[in-house]
Amino acid sequence: MFGLLGPNGAGKTTLLRLLLGYIQPTSGRATIGGLDCQRQSVAARQLVSYLPGEARLYRGMRGRDVLRFFAQVRPGGDFQQALRFAERLDLELTRRVAFMSTGMRQKLAFAATMSTDSPLLILDEPTSNLDPSVRATVSEMIAEAKLAGRTVLFSSHVLSEVEEVCDRVAILRAGRCVHTQVMSELRRRHRLAASLVGDVPAVPAELADSVRVSSCSQGELVIEADELSSLLRWLATLPVTEIRAEPIGLRAVYDRFHAGKDATA
Amino acid sequence: MIHVLLRRRIDEAKWLLAACSITMVWFCWLRVWLVSRLDTGRFKEILDLLPSDWQRYTPVDFSWLITYEGRISLAYDELVVVGCVSIWAIARGSDCVSGELGRGTLEMLLAQPLSRRAVMLSQAGVTVTGAAVLAFCAWFGTWCGIHTLSAKQVVTPAFHLPIPLPFIGSDIPIPFAEPETVYIPLVDLVDAGLFAPASVSLFMFGLMIAGFSTLVSSWDRYRWRTIGIVVGVYVVQTVVKLVGMSTDELAWMKFLSAFTAYEPESFVHIADKLPQFTWSFTMRDSDGTWIGYGPMCFHAIMASIGVASYAVALRVFARRDLPAPL
Repeated sequence: MFGLLGPNGAGKTTLLRLLLGYIQPTSGRATIGGLDCQRQSVAARQLVSYLPGEARLYRGMRGRDVLRFFAQVRPGGDFQQALRFAERLDLELTRRVAFMSTGMRQKLAFAATMSTDSPLLILDEPTSNLDPSVRATVSEMIAEAKLAGRTVLFSSHVLSEVEEVCDRVAILRAGRCVHTQVMSELRRRHRLAASLVGDVPAVPAELADSVRVSSCSQGELVIEADELSSLLRWLATLPVTEIRAEPIGLRAVYDRFHAGKDATA
Repeated sequence: MIHVLLRRRIDEAKWLLAACSITMVWFCWLRVWLVSRLDTGRFKEILDLLPSDWQRYTPVDFSWLITYEGRISLAYDELVVVGCVSIWAIARGSDCVSGELGRGTLEMLLAQPLSRRAVMLSQAGVTVTGAAVLAFCAWFGTWCGIHTLSAKQVVTPAFHLPIPLPFIGSDIPIPFAEPETVYIPLVDLVDAGLFAPASVSLFMFGLMIAGFSTLVSSWDRYRWRTIGIVVGVYVVQTVVKLVGMSTDELAWMKFLSAFTAYEPESFVHIADKLPQFTWSFTMRDSDGTWIGYGPMCFHAIMASIGVASYAVALRVFARRDLPAPL
């Protein structure tokens, strides 16, 4: 599961639209499964199921008809599966799209998107407009897709959500990928803030490779480390009055590239 | 997949098509009914009141226009008939790309493994078929009128002396009773098949408008702007044609308007008077002298504009970037 993060205008949606063949690249090329997204767009889209950020559906159709249409229009679409997803999302399928709330429409589009057997799911902010309980169900369904061996490309404005579900995250800035973060590595990393009596000593040479000193001043030492035991052993030899340990969240990584900007992607 | 898309397109268009079809059948029947109620002589009196300059606004002689065939053929120039086909063609053509873009539904549709060509052709297929249905409805309404109505005629019972008049070669009718009103079934007076070329012309007109609307739609992103541009061109083309018809000095302007190719009453006139040329591209008399272009030539001009517009629209749509929905 691959997450896309970046502030507004960073190029997340543009990247997704490039992959879908909606727009042409000014330079370079995009491929999905080795298929060129421009010249072999139809074949490439056969591998993809896409949920736009703000899904617009045919307003005159009833929910059930929308699911049937999208199941029939794509090879491998499964109407029964779509109905099962709709039931889990508590959708009222007899209602016309025009009379559905934004959240209902989003859920309907999500059910239609998930009901295919395509190996790649591209979800552009799938949980926007959804209430917290439905968000949990959606996250659960995305996790099930991942367990079923499908690749999920996930763009979201909610850092915690990306942190929770993604295996890897790309951070975009001004149309460029500035950092790719493997989440399992991030989850191992911790930040330790220690208060010391007197001057702060230099970090021993044997620890220098595995830790990063974030700040060091006036008896306060903030260190980020992958592995805690050796660091704690060293700190135990120092006149420490207080230690606070916390996992490094995605926000810290994100802020490294977008400090001073909106904390959401 | 394509049949699912086609079904969707039909579903979107069915109410407009049904409304236009019913209007078309009803109006054409009504038009025949009006013709049947008005005696030819009365109609001639009305036409005689018109200034002679008005002749230039019709491609056929007034003398033919007062016949049942002539008067019924005018239905194909009526605002309701031309309007129904135009509304259908502009509504469906403009919806093709800019309509779907405006509603945002194109994004979800093109997320499916469907080519842009398939998306456009499915829309075009339904639009062109709809135009054909409307043209048929116009003819069917006329046929129904001719087969269900009777023409009111005032006749004076007379017997004819079998004395041929010199120079005239006719005999002398001698009335022996008061004039009386009789009703003659229209089917005995008019052949409904004569109006087939007018219906074909109406279909070609629809094809041309639909193609042009689709072309503008394929480039645009706002449906109402698309409709505005198409209606603007429509009005300009109509005015150019009328100006070209109004004076001899500006007659060349007729050739700047594609609408000049839409002359249904002229095609009915040819079918009535020169039936051998009903489906001809050119007309020549028995010794090969040029008479003029045949109805098929005019049909082909409108069809070519329509098909060429669709071809360019396909190309534009296939190459353009699709903006995100607003």
